[in-house]
Amino acid sequence: MFLLYMNLLEGVASAVYSRKKAYCKMLLHAAKYPHCAVNGLLVAEKVKEKKKDSHSAPILCVDCVPLFHGTLALAPMLEVALTLIDTWCKENRYVIAGYYQANERTKDFRPNQVAEKVAARISENFSEAAIVMVDNSRLTMSCFEPIVLIYDHHENKWKSRDVNTDCFEDWLEAQKITSALLEGRSYENLIDFDNHLDDLRNDWTNPVINKSVLDLC
Amino acid sequence: MASVSELYDVGWEEMRDKLRKWREDNCRNSEQIVDVGEELISEHGSKLGDDIWIIYEQVMIAALDCSRDDLALTCLQELRKQFPDSHRVKRLSGMRLEALERYDEANKHYDAILQDDPTNTAARKRKISILKAQGKSAEAIRELNEYLEQFVGDQEAWHELSELYINEHDYGKAAFCLEELMMTNPHNHLYCEQYAEVKYTQGGLENLELSRKYFAQALRLNNRNMRALFGLYMSASHIAASPKVGAKVKKDNMKYAAWAATQINRAYKVSQAWMGHSALTLPCTPASQTSFSQLDKLILQAQESR
Repeated sequence: MFLLYMNLLEGVASAVYSRKKAYCKMLLHAAKYPHCAVNGLLVAEKVKEKKKDSHSAPILCVDCVPLFHGTLALAPMLEVALTLIDTWCKENRYVIAGYYQANERTKDFRPNQVAEKVAARISENFSEAAIVMVDNSRLTMSCFEPIVLIYDHHENKWKSRDVNTDCFEDWLEAQKITSALLEGRSYENLIDFDNHLDDLRNDWTNPVINKSVLDLC
Repeated sequence: MASVSELYDVGWEEMRDKLRKWREDNCRNSEQIVDVGEELISEHGSKLGDDIWIIYEQVMIAALDCSRDDLALTCLQELRKQFPDSHRVKRLSGMRLEALERYDEANKHYDAILQDDPTNTAARKRKISILKAQGKSAEAIRELNEYLEQFVGDQEAWHELSELYINEHDYGKAAFCLEELMMTNPHNHLYCEQYAEVKYTQGGLENLELSRKYFAQALRLNNRNMRALFGLYMSASHIAASPKVGAKVKKDNMKYAAWAATQINRAYKVSQAWMGHSALTLPCTPASQTSFSQLDKLILQAQESR
């Protein structure tokens, strides 16, 4: 789970949840397809009111939905995924709050046109959408440090911000759980939207992985 | 840690057959191949006969994927002993150097093969892979185009080129590559469906209509291709919603979209028991009397326009 610190004057109150799924599933997705680019969506709890004069509060990403692996730059299935996941979000009082991507090449961690386009699309519904890029070169079993870069949209550009363990609600737990799941090869059971399209019975909400995370808490 | 044969209660013949299936299907499940192959080679190597050499090759490549240089080197050394002057083995040496990111040395290996045998396609393709690994997409595309001028029938290369173009957002050229593949593989629903996706991404009314026709064609070739079904729904819906189309085209496309939506909902209902949450329904016009014959009309149009 992430805390996305906002520099905006318009604050959004958020409930703090202790589910630790988002970071794990992102890394598991990258680990499952080491030879491909992967991407997915990050979801946050939907907030009822926007208090215009409250100072910025952190937004917690409570879950993530892995989308595709391999070719990311095609539109139709992405649109289908956004529609279905948006519906699921509404049913569960979530909102799509961000987008993650791990590029194909190990040393490449910059957001590309696909990342920017999807994030722009998400921003239409959630103005503070962020891009989270996975730094493949630092992906290890032990996960001692957070290996993501977070980009925010400022003045028409995506700029990265400093990421440290404070960006996580409980970094030690997240680290422990992610490491355990990687060692146990749980990524073999991770389902992304591509897997779902191959066989509709594959559930992209990943109840199996969610349960594993709970069991490890 | 328990061995594969213990964990899955399989004998060495089943392990050997599994490896063969993965070879034939060109699967890249490298961790599994390493697990099964390593045990097969070390415990049952003597029983494999001549199969062992191709298994060494398969396991070596999988080991490179998993950063198991120890295993890769073992396999490579066995192959070198058995086939000392082989270009095929030399290519594997090159691949090992690539895995270690020693690209210049790898290139020297491949150049040596090509000097000996200028028609060696494997070495040329490895050189292109190195360009891709180094992020030199433009050069990789140029080299691959040159390669395809000589080796026009290499389907793997056409597909690789289509992917390179898609990643560069050059959808027109990606479509051209997929057209080549569809011509030589008219019954392959995956190429049809991917072509439709590229056309859809290109955008514009004409491309949307083309994409709808090819999604329909893909469905005709394999009626369980969910991507084609979703694609048909999306493209027909977009066409129906476009301000540029006349009333008849609008009506027809709404019917196609409605038909597709019904099929999608039906497919979800069938899998509902496994999914845990209720079948998702898509926003669509009420399912009309649209029948499967509409799909045939779409296909006729696709054939006429080719």
